[in-house]
Amino acid sequence: MSHEAVLHGHESHGHDDHGHHEHHDTFLTKYVFSQDHKMIAKQFLITGMVWAVLGGLMSVLFRLQLGYPDASFPWLESILGKWAKGGQITPEAYYALVTTHGTVLVFFVLTAGLSGTFANFLIPLQIGARDMASPFLNMLSYWFFFTASIVMLSSLFVETGPFSGGWTAYPPLSALHDASPGSKTGMDLWIIAMALFVVSSLLGGLNYIATILNMRTKGMSMTRLPLTIWALFFTAVLGVLSFPVLLSGMILLIFDRNFGTSFYLSDIYVNGVGALSNEGGSAILFQHLFWFLGHPEVYIILLPAMGMVSEIMSVNSRKPIFGYMAMLGSLFAIAILAFLVWAHHMFVTGLNPFLGSVFVLLTLLIAVPSAIKVFNWLTTLWRGNIRFTPGMLFAIGFVSLFISGGLTGIWLGNAALDIYLHDSYFVVAHFHIVMGVASMFGMFAGVYHWFPKMYGRYLNNSLGYIHFWITLAGAYMIFWPMHYQGLAGMPRRYFDFSIWESFKQFAELNRFISTVAMIVFAVQILFLINFFYSIFKGRKVTVLNPWESNTLEWTTPIRPGHGNWPGEIPEVHRWPYDYGKDGHDFIPQTTPVGADETETH
Amino acid sequence: MSHSHTDHEAHNAEAIAEIKKVTIILSVFTIIELILGFWMMSMTSVGLKLAIKGAIVILMMAKAFYIVAYFMHLKHEVKNLIMTIVVPLLLFVWFIGAFLWDGNSFRNLRNDYDSYFKEQATIKVEKKEGEEHGAAKHEATDAKHEATDAKHETIGTSHETAKPAVEPYY
Amino acid sequence: MSTTTTASPNEAKLWGGGKSPFSSEYGKVMMWYFLMSDAFTFGAFLISYGTVRFSTNGWPNSNEVFRSFPFAPAGVHAPLVFVSIMTFILIVSSVTMVLAVHAGKNMDKQGVVRNMILTIIGGLAFLSCQAWEWNHLFHEGAWWGANPFLNADGTASSTNFTNFFFTITGFHGFHVFSGVVINIIMLIMTLMDKFEQRGHYLMIEKAGLYWHFVDLVWVFVFTIFYLL
Repeated sequence: MSHEAVLHGHESHGHDDHGHHEHHDTFLTKYVFSQDHKMIAKQFLITGMVWAVLGGLMSVLFRLQLGYPDASFPWLESILGKWAKGGQITPEAYYALVTTHGTVLVFFVLTAGLSGTFANFLIPLQIGARDMASPFLNMLSYWFFFTASIVMLSSLFVETGPFSGGWTAYPPLSALHDASPGSKTGMDLWIIAMALFVVSSLLGGLNYIATILNMRTKGMSMTRLPLTIWALFFTAVLGVLSFPVLLSGMILLIFDRNFGTSFYLSDIYVNGVGALSNEGGSAILFQHLFWFLGHPEVYIILLPAMGMVSEIMSVNSRKPIFGYMAMLGSLFAIAILAFLVWAHHMFVTGLNPFLGSVFVLLTLLIAVPSAIKVFNWLTTLWRGNIRFTPGMLFAIGFVSLFISGGLTGIWLGNAALDIYLHDSYFVVAHFHIVMGVASMFGMFAGVYHWFPKMYGRYLNNSLGYIHFWITLAGAYMIFWPMHYQGLAGMPRRYFDFSIWESFKQFAELNRFISTVAMIVFAVQILFLINFFYSIFKGRKVTVLNPWESNTLEWTTPIRPGHGNWPGEIPEVHRWPYDYGKDGHDFIPQTTPVGADETETH
Repeated sequence: MSHSHTDHEAHNAEAIAEIKKVTIILSVFTIIELILGFWMMSMTSVGLKLAIKGAIVILMMAKAFYIVAYFMHLKHEVKNLIMTIVVPLLLFVWFIGAFLWDGNSFRNLRNDYDSYFKEQATIKVEKKEGEEHGAAKHEATDAKHEATDAKHETIGTSHETAKPAVEPYY
Repeated sequence: MSTTTTASPNEAKLWGGGKSPFSSEYGKVMMWYFLMSDAFTFGAFLISYGTVRFSTNGWPNSNEVFRSFPFAPAGVHAPLVFVSIMTFILIVSSVTMVLAVHAGKNMDKQGVVRNMILTIIGGLAFLSCQAWEWNHLFHEGAWWGANPFLNADGTASSTNFTNFFFTITGFHGFHVFSGVVINIIMLIMTLMDKFEQRGHYLMIEKAGLYWHFVDLVWVFVFTIFYLL
């Protein structure tokens, strides 16, 4: 049967099967309160993209301040009002922008936007399920996220401004209303938004775990799962076990803020507030609780990107993934170690030095599974018949960024080095490359690769190549110089470096970084145009399996309805990485094992 | 299944017997904990007290085991489910260990470098009788405010005023 | 019959897809992982309590603090008595919950109804005890941010003893309260024959898991606050 015939057959079949459902779907149930995992995934993706634009715009604004500290931009005052009096961003606004940029990109874009999108979209499609275990809780998960978004957004518009004490929300800045303007209503809204976000991620995570364990189709054993699913599974486990600790930490913070307790406050003197009458609290306790979430959070962000990159690389190299079990084992090792290393963010807090050295040891252990993964990606590419689709380019870009950002992680994981490098631009460069940009690349790879499945149309390739090359070059040009700035002692979180003699030498470099940041931001707008244009006007997908991929999502109709497969859910007979086997270019998972086949998985 | 009825009854009786057994075990453990608690009250030896506390923690863990294993039925689940529940709980070992370790270290640091903090541990204060709530409390609060300011002026030097009790910071 | 003893000897079949590897429906799997997650919430609270206690020089003696019980004549102090009553109430309500789940497995509606009512009564009794204790402590001057008690060695105490006490027992009490609400909903659904129509009482089992978890948390809260 030709592809067209298959397609036609399926489509007419699907119409018969689902015809009687169609008239139930109003606009509200189909696009707003949808319980279809594919629609929920798109909701997560588009909300995440809105936040990415806002968060990116914020970074452009504060880069403007860092690059041109003496210049004045009257148009800034017209959009920011009192936050940019005289065309220059005020220090309060600068800190509010940095804080919101961090919170939004870490939680709303790279957690909800990344694993929310792809876990929802790919889990049922790739394991062969009609939908999530509980479509209703899945819908609630999105709407909790949406409410969190609205609350966070509203905090940008309050009189005293959004929270401005850094995305980590350390007390006392976060615990005292009078510590800074942003610590008033802005912080209250920040806490509410984050609490709603925790609920959202919990509902989502429980659903992903239960779905992957319970809803796999016949023959889809755990070791036949695509690595995407394994990565999303560990992501969900990390989220379910670590977010509640943040919730506890924030409940204690609410009490400190509003009910006169001293969990995090002790008898310190705060400028502008005076001597606190609190006794016995420990600000370090909050940091412990925060980073007990915060470090797994890094892997919540990274693992989905790793999983998607593994899948996309194998498909586009036309080769099986190298070392499937090693990939799986390293994912597992990373998930476990993620919980054991949190205090490496706290080497300069007065952490017990011996305890710190235990954390150094555990932290450096993460290099082992990470190196295994990098090795396996590179050997998957080795002698592959590589197709450089935009998705594949972003996947390769991910590996490049993961290596260069990961190597500096080994520096920072050593307490002795970290004490020098802590809170410098070296740290900014490290985590932006390895966690921020790398995961963004994973997300882009996923969007380019699965866009045909999401919307039944292709993204424009030429725009994709422009997007990739400028973003990759731009990311390195922005963050590479920051390493040198950091090593030279330039601290992060400063509003204006031009008033220090020792940092004046970096004025030009800062201007360069800011200029590149703006160009890279503009290219992301190009991607958005490509995205929304292609949803409606992109080249139509005419074959079921455009990437000639083995996984199950490509056995569904081009635009699958609610329920994914019009007929029976296909049965699975092999692992998803049979590329270039026995002279066949690819053998889909649904193909039964032939009599003369060599070793199968 | 023809013989399922008798099977069923046997199974039923077994389950009820198990519930009874676990109830008794939980009660006995709680009573032992209480006895240890009462005994500990009159104890002066720090080492012995610590040993008793260790025993109480062990009993606590045993009770938790019986509740999870029998009441929550985990023991009768498939082994894989047991493993996916129990293995992640092992994370608590390091969670507890590192937190308490650093808490203890923080106290040592404060005793070394914060003379006010250390001094507080040596000054005995009078038991406050008839603690107040409502309006009276707020008056006391103001007094404490002054005391707090005074404290910060005299940090590191000895002072005889009682430690100002903490009042809510607004 | 019970689905729990049917573990297949064939591992591969169990994980081969097309069925639950745990032989349980997704709701129960989700409930278990939710409880795991909640365990980390409570764990974080109790570990924070331990951390602050370890970083403080003195700490109040719980036997000096929790020594009253209702209708006691003035001056009579009986540490541990009242809280042991609370503990037994919770253990007994857990037992009745197990019996309700067991009755549900046997499709015994009367048994479910009877034991659910007993469980709800136990939960309400526990909540009443807690309300009394909170009220009593409040009148002694204890509240968030206020601690009338001294350290065991007679030195001044920080407020963190009462801060943590009210926060953690409050959070636990909130869980008991929501458990009672869930149990009442389950009771109503049982009375409306919802589960008879479905042919199984799995919802009762899930509510039971939650209720036992609340009991489990109390085992830790009780030991850590009142005994250690």
